[in-house]
Amino acid sequence: MSTESGRKGFKLSLDTWAVILALALALAVRANVFNNVPW
Amino acid sequence: MATSTAASPVESGTAPVNVLRLVPGILLLAVVGYAGKFLEKFLNTYAKTHHWTFPNIEYVLWAIVIGLILSNLLTVPKIFQPGIATYEFWLKVGIVLLGSRFVLADMLKLGGISLALVVVEISLSLLLMHALGRAFKLTPKLTSLLAVGSSICGVSAIIAAKGAIDADDEDSTFAIAAILALGALALFTFPLIGHSLHLSDTVFGLWSGLGVDNTAEATATGALYSDAAGKVAVLAKTARNAMIGFVVLAYAIYWAKRGQASTVGNKAAFLWNKFPKFVLGFLIMSLLVSFHTFNKDQVTSLANLSRWAFLLTFAGVGLRTNFRQMSKQGLRPFVVGALGEVLIAALTFGLVVGANRIWGL
Repeated sequence: MSTESGRKGFKLSLDTWAVILALALALAVRANVFNNVPW
Repeated sequence: MATSTAASPVESGTAPVNVLRLVPGILLLAVVGYAGKFLEKFLNTYAKTHHWTFPNIEYVLWAIVIGLILSNLLTVPKIFQPGIATYEFWLKVGIVLLGSRFVLADMLKLGGISLALVVVEISLSLLLMHALGRAFKLTPKLTSLLAVGSSICGVSAIIAAKGAIDADDEDSTFAIAAILALGALALFTFPLIGHSLHLSDTVFGLWSGLGVDNTAEATATGALYSDAAGKVAVLAKTARNAMIGFVVLAYAIYWAKRGQASTVGNKAAFLWNKFPKFVLGFLIMSLLVSFHTFNKDQVTSLANLSRWAFLLTFAGVGLRTNFRQMSKQGLRPFVVGALGEVLIAALTFGLVVGANRIWGL
């Protein structure tokens, strides 16, 4: 489910992609790429 | 029905084509979610300027109701379906980002209490669902799926268990339909009960996280009550989700011993494969905030990004709930599920109230 090694390399699960996207967004906020995201 | 049963649109096929297929549905999620947010603000302002007494109905409910209207009274064109199916992806993104609202001390206190309650809840729920399954003469594997779905985390747990115990497609469809229909009912009944009993945000949040099965519905139920309750509901539900691997492994071994499922080779690998990775992401985010990686404004930005991700999720909850299709799945699994859910709701309520008395939540 998480990673499947195959001939084409690693295939990440949707869960893992969600974590990667969330951490990338957090990094962007930390680097001030996004300032004061509104709600 | 639950689009979540279908293979993930992100996981199969060629990537650029797949991403394009997702765009219409994601835009629909955004439009429905934003319409909910707009309606909340518009109605509140309108009521205020006209001196009306109007209850504050949260954007969560509006987004779900608009989604329900679109999916049940109209027909949502197929072009939107792959994108609508991403609502669970946005849920997980939102949960990881929500980790920024828990410093480690909160996480340890509430998370520890949640975990203790989760262990009791799962044990009693499994026993209860098996007793009901036997009483209503459901097939043993359907009973197993319903038990896993109602004790841990709804659709994801059923899908994980289906593969592990070699259950029929029909059984898993029944179980998913029952869990989703009951989750939809919980969305409306839990907040009503909570308000009538004047439950605190923490008590209600814990109850939603423990008593509502599917993660999206548990999050929405908590958020319908209050922002703080939504936050606690996610924490409790995440603790519950963390147990998925252990319960599914136990079922896989049980059915394999009876020669009705494949044997489990490497148990550690099995546990890791079934473990929901977003739980780790949630913990990592909380750790980062606890070690002051972000300043106050950045933490607010992360919390708001989490709200936007949940907005797409709530729209998806409404859009993928189709009562007509659910009603085609048969009455017996639904009755067993409904009975079980009512009893589990009462049981988890008792657990949370007891914990509140002991630990003063």
